[in-house]
Amino acid sequence: MSDPKGNDGDGFTALSYILSGLLLYGGLGWLADHFCGTGLFLPIGLIGGLALGVFMVIRRFGASS
Amino acid sequence: MGPGGFSLIPLEGGPPEFGVSAFESRPLFPSQIWLESSGQQAAWTDVWVTNHIAQAVIGAALVIGFWLLVSRRPKIVPGKRQFVGEYLYEMIRNGVARSIIGPQYRRYLPYLLALFSFILVNNLFGQFFLFMFPTFSKIGFAWGLAAASWILYNGVGVKRYGLIKYFSKMTMPHGVPKPLLILVAPLEFISNFLVRPLTLGLRLFANLFAGHLVIMVFVVGGSWLLWSTKASSPDYSPIWNLAGGLSLLMSLAVFAIELLVGCLQAYIFTVLTAQYVSSSLAEEH
Repeated sequence: MSDPKGNDGDGFTALSYILSGLLLYGGLGWLADHFCGTGLFLPIGLIGGLALGVFMVIRRFGASS
Repeated sequence: MGPGGFSLIPLEGGPPEFGVSAFESRPLFPSQIWLESSGQQAAWTDVWVTNHIAQAVIGAALVIGFWLLVSRRPKIVPGKRQFVGEYLYEMIRNGVARSIIGPQYRRYLPYLLALFSFILVNNLFGQFFLFMFPTFSKIGFAWGLAAASWILYNGVGVKRYGLIKYFSKMTMPHGVPKPLLILVAPLEFISNFLVRPLTLGLRLFANLFAGHLVIMVFVVGGSWLLWSTKASSPDYSPIWNLAGGLSLLMSLAVFAIELLVGCLQAYIFTVLTAQYVSSSLAEEH
């Protein structure tokens, strides 16, 4: 493979960003909901985590030069 | 199916076991089976000596033997034996190690080459008589290799930058605004330290496991349909035999695909390990 330097990782890297964003912040939101008895933090966490994951993918794989 | 009709597949007295249970390891020494059948506890020391451990060790021995053979008494004008060895060696050296890791690739070349040839040989075991089982369709073996690569790329980074600097380099990417960094750092941590080895191991395991399962279904199921179905069975139809024959023919194509997948996965594992090493060494992120 002749990936240019700095463009390390494969499609799984992008997938792992999005998945870990969803799981981490969605999980935190779920925990907050669970202990506060609300139903607001889970959707916020899921959407925020997804947005962060997409942000990380764009930052790493988007054309920077 | 009711009387008078026929079913597309036989419904009773299925084929011999060819499901997930076929992946279970068998102890290598029959004495152990005898011990277990007589209700005694087998000694711990020979429980882990299974057929799959044995084939992994044989694979390692084959790899060592191969590289010793092709590098013995090298000549300036290479013969056939040396040519094969150098061809494989240069594929990993130039195509993977040098093009991904860069100028200091030499230190990591032995590991990458051993990794590639070991995975390749063990994957090819899935298509060869005597073994007929790809070692890495047992997930434990894949975890072992993933752990080795994980230790390598983290060890390299820690050695180069020191523990704290390496850790911050891997969790705090450049060019991210400060307030976002708090949110992004855990993401980077999970992605770089947890998901990487997980996907590395799972990718290798899942490809070979699924491939071997498909081969089993086609070959064992097909041959059972072709030969072992009883014409005296009440809902018998010749379609069973036809489907069995077709399935056996198709199995040749599946074997060819598995050959490709085996080579590809060995290559991908090596490439990804090289990329992780290179990202640990890189100055920027």
